[in-house]
Amino acid sequence: MARPELEPTIGELLDRQGVSRRSFVKYCTAMASLLALPPHAARAMAEQLRAARRPSVIYLSFQECTGCLESLTRSFAPTIENLIFNVVSLDYDDTLMAAAGSQAEAAREQAMRANYGKYLLVVDGAVPTGDGGVYHCAAGRTGLDILTDCAKGAAAIVCVGTCASFGGLPFADPNPTGARAISTLVPGKPVVNVSGCPPIPEVIAGTLLQYVTSGRVPDLDEHLRPTVFFGNSIHDRCYRRPFYDQGKFAKTFDDEGARNGWCLYELGCKGPTTYNACATIKWNNAVSFPIQSGHPCLGCAEPNFWDRGSFYSPIPSPRWGKAGEVSPVQAAAIAAGAAVAGAAIGVGSVLLGRRRIARHQQEPKSPSGKGNEE
Amino acid sequence: MTTLAQIPVCVEPVPVSHEEGTVGGGIGAILAEIAELLERLARTGEPGAIDLRSLPLSPADRAQLLQALGTGEVDARMQVNGESRIRETAVHGVWWTEHRDSSGELLATLIEVARVPDILIVGEDDLLRGASRLRASLTLQSAAQGESPHG
Repeated sequence: MARPELEPTIGELLDRQGVSRRSFVKYCTAMASLLALPPHAARAMAEQLRAARRPSVIYLSFQECTGCLESLTRSFAPTIENLIFNVVSLDYDDTLMAAAGSQAEAAREQAMRANYGKYLLVVDGAVPTGDGGVYHCAAGRTGLDILTDCAKGAAAIVCVGTCASFGGLPFADPNPTGARAISTLVPGKPVVNVSGCPPIPEVIAGTLLQYVTSGRVPDLDEHLRPTVFFGNSIHDRCYRRPFYDQGKFAKTFDDEGARNGWCLYELGCKGPTTYNACATIKWNNAVSFPIQSGHPCLGCAEPNFWDRGSFYSPIPSPRWGKAGEVSPVQAAAIAAGAAVAGAAIGVGSVLLGRRRIARHQQEPKSPSGKGNEE
Repeated sequence: MTTLAQIPVCVEPVPVSHEEGTVGGGIGAILAEIAELLERLARTGEPGAIDLRSLPLSPADRAQLLQALGTGEVDARMQVNGESRIRETAVHGVWWTEHRDSSGELLATLIEVARVPDILIVGEDDLLRGASRLRASLTLQSAAQGESPHG
């Protein structure tokens, strides 16, 4: 209503560009695949996306290394250009925008006024609150002040990266700047955490796309992360899982087990306690992910990952059984010599998981979902 | 030793089940799902699909799956923002669809269970757009002929 003449639907934009139905269906098929939606959802997604209008996005950066933005700008599908120009209207990002200084701030204020209550606030980095917030200042204001101001009119806040989601490295002991996670500073606002150090680019893009498609905050886990990407542990989706189930572990980085691609659990892999999509979406356009490259998962998408002891020590038993301990089903499978059971259980559980997700999506959404949800 | 490929690394393949012949347990689960989708298509006409992205399959598993399904009669290539290849497998009604972007990178791999995959069908809007394009070119042509002395 605020800017009807500026707001064609995404479908109208695509028609103007002469984008064919096949092209759009292909795009949505790739997106549905990325979002781990059931494949038949691509058609519904195409219809919803065509009818949707691009939301205004304001992107703020606080205590961070810009690795998250680096990750997003290396997103392959959709490319960042595609995302920016076709799906969202990026109205403020002090790293990417051409304007600087007072012009940039004026653009932010104009976008906030025109889209009050409707814009999407994307944040990367933790916000320092110690000593009056002086450890992050921009345009003469503290980070805390900027965040509070921008959060007021936001429809939802998407925290990109572990720093914004959980405090991350700035929050790590002894946290000299009093860094805090965004969700603790914006009471009452719907928050979506897209954690990871950095997050997978497709997960950032996919979360934004999902918001545009559905017009609401996605289903979230207990850490406010979209379950569609953070619903499974790295371990559950790991292609090395069958070796875990068989009790075949690499003990050092250059032993026979490491060369044979066995499970990295005993080298400190945090896959069993880490929820992210690295094992399925992977990195650099699905080329590989840390475990595939022979390195244990660091657990970077989890709260306090930096303070959980050595990256190279096996997960302590209180959190995840004893090293090499297996479930009764796996134990029975190993005892019976049915080495393939692990793989069968793995794929079977994934298929079941997908059915669970599909069922969940068909069910009407409970209004009393997560605390921070709309 | 100059390239990465020359470093001797042996990746042990996931073992193959002896109980189910040559098909591994994981592949068996997918084939069973495809059979179920085929039966549903025959019964209700509702198409189905399996997205291979989020299944923990190694390249060897994929190759094995493709081999289990075999090569069929139709092989369609679509040039839309990069190539898409839609192949019918030896199992009628089961299609192996690969979508690539303009730089050839794989965007999605699906096993579709349908009479014809939806993406091959021409949309109604595209039909009308095509018709109006032809009409416009006919109008231009006749206008040009009208101006010609030999017209």
